[in-house]
Amino acid sequence: MDTTRRGFLGAIGQVTIGAAASVAGAGQSASAEGNDVPHWGMVVDLRKCIGCQACTVACIMENAVPEDAFRTHVSVYELVKDGQDPAMVMLPRLCNHCDDPPCLPVCPVEATFKAENGEVLVDASKCVGCAYCVQACPYDARFINHETQVADKCTFCFHRTQAGLLPACVETCVGGARNFGDLNDPNSEVSKMLRDNEVSVLRPEMHTNPNVYYIGLDDVLDGRVAGEAAYHPEMADTVSHTEGL
Amino acid sequence: MTNRRNILKGVAAAGALGTFGAGYAETVQKLARGKWSGEKPRDAHVVGNSIPPEFSVDPETGDVTLNPNQAMSYTMCIGCTTMCGVRVRVDKAKNKVLRVAGNPYSPMSTDPFIPYESSVAESFAAMAQAGPGQGLTRRSTACGRGNAVLEQVDNPRRVLKPLKRVGPRGSGQWQTISFEQLVEEVTEGGDLFGEGRVAGLREIRDLEAPALEGAPEFGSRANHLVWMNCVDDGRDNFVLRWLKQSYGSNNFTRHGSYCGGAYRSGSGAMFGDFKAMPHAKPDFSNVEFVIFAGTAPGNAGNPFKRIGTLVAKARADGNLSYVVVDPILNNAQNGPSGERARWLAIKPGTDGAMAMAMIRWMFENDRYDAKYLAQPSKAAAEAAGEMSWSNATHLVIVDADHPRFGHCLRGSDMGLAIEGEAYSETDPFMISSDTGPVTGPVPAGTSAAPLFHEGLAETQNGPVAVKTALTLLREEAMSQDMESYSKDCGIPVDKLTNLAREFTSHGRKAAVSSHGGMMNGSGFYNAYALMMLNTLIGNLNWKGGTMIAGGGFPENKGPAYDLASFPGAVKAKGLPFGRNVPYEKTSEFKAKKAAGAAYPADAPWYPNAPGLATEWMSSLVTGYPYKAEALIFRNTNPIYGVPGVAHLVEEMKDPAVVPLIISIDPFINESTAISDYIVPDSVMYETWGFTKPWGGVATKATCARWPVIEPKMDPNAEGERVGMETFLIAVAKRMGLPGFGDNAIPDAEGTLHPLNRAEDWYLRGAVNVAMIGAPVSDATDEDIELSNVARIADDLKATLKPEEWRKAATIFAKGGRYENITRSYQGDKATYAFNPPMLVWNEGLGSFRRATTGTRLPGTPAWRAPEFSDGSNVSDHYPREDWPIQVISFKSPLQNSYSVGAKSLLRIVASNPVNIGRDLAAAHGIQTGDMIRLTTPGGTLESVAVVRAGVAPDTVAIEHGFGHRGFGAEDITIDGETMPGDPRLAAGVLLNDLGMLDPTRAKAGVWVDPVSGTAVRHGLPARIERI
Repeated sequence: MDTTRRGFLGAIGQVTIGAAASVAGAGQSASAEGNDVPHWGMVVDLRKCIGCQACTVACIMENAVPEDAFRTHVSVYELVKDGQDPAMVMLPRLCNHCDDPPCLPVCPVEATFKAENGEVLVDASKCVGCAYCVQACPYDARFINHETQVADKCTFCFHRTQAGLLPACVETCVGGARNFGDLNDPNSEVSKMLRDNEVSVLRPEMHTNPNVYYIGLDDVLDGRVAGEAAYHPEMADTVSHTEGL
Repeated sequence: MTNRRNILKGVAAAGALGTFGAGYAETVQKLARGKWSGEKPRDAHVVGNSIPPEFSVDPETGDVTLNPNQAMSYTMCIGCTTMCGVRVRVDKAKNKVLRVAGNPYSPMSTDPFIPYESSVAESFAAMAQAGPGQGLTRRSTACGRGNAVLEQVDNPRRVLKPLKRVGPRGSGQWQTISFEQLVEEVTEGGDLFGEGRVAGLREIRDLEAPALEGAPEFGSRANHLVWMNCVDDGRDNFVLRWLKQSYGSNNFTRHGSYCGGAYRSGSGAMFGDFKAMPHAKPDFSNVEFVIFAGTAPGNAGNPFKRIGTLVAKARADGNLSYVVVDPILNNAQNGPSGERARWLAIKPGTDGAMAMAMIRWMFENDRYDAKYLAQPSKAAAEAAGEMSWSNATHLVIVDADHPRFGHCLRGSDMGLAIEGEAYSETDPFMISSDTGPVTGPVPAGTSAAPLFHEGLAETQNGPVAVKTALTLLREEAMSQDMESYSKDCGIPVDKLTNLAREFTSHGRKAAVSSHGGMMNGSGFYNAYALMMLNTLIGNLNWKGGTMIAGGGFPENKGPAYDLASFPGAVKAKGLPFGRNVPYEKTSEFKAKKAAGAAYPADAPWYPNAPGLATEWMSSLVTGYPYKAEALIFRNTNPIYGVPGVAHLVEEMKDPAVVPLIISIDPFINESTAISDYIVPDSVMYETWGFTKPWGGVATKATCARWPVIEPKMDPNAEGERVGMETFLIAVAKRMGLPGFGDNAIPDAEGTLHPLNRAEDWYLRGAVNVAMIGAPVSDATDEDIELSNVARIADDLKATLKPEEWRKAATIFAKGGRYENITRSYQGDKATYAFNPPMLVWNEGLGSFRRATTGTRLPGTPAWRAPEFSDGSNVSDHYPREDWPIQVISFKSPLQNSYSVGAKSLLRIVASNPVNIGRDLAAAHGIQTGDMIRLTTPGGTLESVAVVRAGVAPDTVAIEHGFGHRGFGAEDITIDGETMPGDPRLAAGVLLNDLGMLDPTRAKAGVWVDPVSGTAVRHGLPARIERI
């Protein structure tokens, strides 16, 4: 039997999730009305996430993510608040494609850059694998790809959006939790969702201006509750930054 | 649109080395090397090794431009029993599946699914960001497992050549043999293993010799070939043709009795069919309140994805609130949805106590739908505007000494002149007269009848005590008070009453849903009780209530070809091996009765059950009611799946017990591992088949599966890929069995067509699917090109008639045939209604005698403590003082019993620590990460504990799908070369290792539910200790 004490102990523990807060004026699209250059964003409706990990696996398949890392996955928590029944929260996580990305200025070779449609990307041909960006990311969204020895991360499926397709994780989202589109287009589905719902971002105190928004986050993860990864003892929730998400 | 390809615009030139500080030493070193220090990815800039897009969609025109290196084909996932329609993306040159998404035509993968008339190009655009609704509206999905199981195709442990065991069964030693040797040996038998002579399939197929001397009811020796299947993956019609109509064996079973059979049987009791076991599901999109008890929407279930999608949408955007009643909190509950999605802990296996408490409260507070229940016939229901009806008002004979005890009173009992036979459909059911008992029973008519009545009926043979079915249900519900029910199920009385109140506050837009969580010692009655709540509010066939599946377009009997019958077919006869028939039909019964004591039988019989794989395990090792000579496992794994079966495995390994075991499987699982031969089979996207949804889809839907890649199995001498169909055809031809060969399949004119290859069968099946009702349109050249049906176009043209092939091509191009979503409802009613009555009292159940006791059981839902086959309480054998906790299993969102080889799943969840509630953990000093030992009367296992708040008191919960010994978890040696066992595949524990034998059975058998004969994996009595 492989259920060694060490194997589990190494990975279980209290998980602190960055404080989430409602974002005033999340519908930044409004200010950019008339700009016909798409600015990609994702709105994750946590009420719709069923924790099936379709996104996690689709990303692995689409992007050949090496075995020890994830570009995206869904953290699963059993949350316990005083006086309330325990509750399940599934939290899809990925690069937030920040408008003020902390990973960018630390790159010594300017391999990390902000692309025209808002993606934070890495030009692998320039990257030297120093991992400063991995350290700098407040979302644990980056890792050094052990195969290529360069920084690796979610690209919002850059190669797919270029072809008019959806990111793999969005296309396969069973609950319809992940929604993707142009935040500059006030008529896009994601812009409508931002207008019609109260949304939050992860780690607002970092002032990263992320482009990944969450519906239903602030009600449950308000920074005062402790969560425990219920089902996923060996997921990379608590492993070091170099492992990515 | 702007030019998105200008991706590096605005990016400054690579940085100056001079900005580095001392801390950048390693960086400088890497830079100075002047070359890539790792492997260079396909794209050296931003997308690395990501796969090139499958096609592009022009955002302005919607035009689809294919990537010529990839094929996009609509076929079927068989990563679980849901069998969703999916879109498979193939690297053509490498014959490799790259990724899988959903099929937007398919309700299993898309909501709302696109109209069937849509061209394949339109279906591609529907899922694209550049398409309508930015691709979000019609997004079509594969689940986590569905995304991962493509890895099984290239699993290095696949069986690709026929294997024969070396040394004893289960030793893990194999040799490859030719397909021709395989066919010869299993057909002709002989001294195959140097252990003595083994009868081959030819010898066993003796249609004259009896299966059991002196017991003609068991049919012929051909029944000594017994076939265990897993699930109908769309190939069972082929199997059944070979087994029953050609070979002549009547013994075929599937995995239901160790899957969710208790639920299906309980539902079958209410729907009036214990063999087909109809069941309804909530209309998830329109229902307002659901109690999920023993099922977990979005966590598991069937159809897994569709329910997940609809429930997520309904709780976020719609009107759905629900409660998940479960001993363990799982993904079915959703914190961000707040009160919309709640969890209610219950003691394992006590759902019947909860349901009967709710029923009691509903009776006491007049919260049942009296108008619905009062309609005694379909005509009365129609006149009253009801969409279904029940036998609530029918009178039941309750005189225990009466020969028709437990049956409904009929016109012929009263001496009425009837058409046809007594107790046939034309013999009217009797109801109480409106004007009181004085006037006596009258035939059920076209108007409402009294719900409650008890009295004497003056029958032809004298007065007989009768009660209405609803009276009997009320009596059963009132037999315990609320406090007592509450104590049994662990749910406080106020929560029980609140649940009942909420359930009865939405008119017909409320429902109870259940499934695999019923696999406990009281499972059958628990399920029947839960389902009865639906009948008490009359929600069947209503939009927003419960609905049955819309069905499909059958491939085996259609306007073009008759695949279901053929000249020379034999009729398989004889009582089945699993004893799911009345004991009273046996010679044993007659002999014992003549000797003065008809009961008990030598082992249990289950007249109110379908085929039972669980009981087959007992039949196989005990030779009761007769001995099997050959066993075929087809893609099935009872040795992993049946709780407690470990106690029977050593006998199974003994060739004297079952002389010949053949597996047809792509992998060496725990069951395949104890076979004598393995026939390699196709995996996933290499195979043919047609399936329909088993529930949860209101419209007709048939999913078509076809080989969208070249199968990997070795070819035989004739160049055909070895697989199940190749094997069965070859054996049939060698034996000269009817129904195969050049003249096997009649068309509508009676002309016979060949059945020499799988294509002969499945392509003609596709024509049937296409031609039923208004035929589908011909596939266009563009459809064929885009879907890569071009891959099989030559076969289509060569096999089918000129006017047929493009119709069949449409079925494969669109991945099946799907009625449009607009057909779901007629106004506020389901288009496809279930018409027979809901049985508040089930006569078959209420009148049979248990073979092992001679006693009877209630004909209505009831709450009953778990019993062994001799009728004794399980708690009498294993008292609470000694066995203070209970163990349950629960389904994983990712793993099932055969997915472990899809290695990406283990990246996400690598093992299954046991879940323990906080109080229980505290009582034993257990903390997360501690090693614990669990002991039941059936076994012991050791594992790591995870302490959680979301586990019911005194309960330990184990996720299913881990703890393997097969699939490469242990060494496999073929032709002297050993592939070492991979400990990752062996990770975790298997609850079934804790499963129990029934200690009261004289002939060894596992503990099963007394009515449904289904395995018990919830509520195993246990002890826990920290180690």
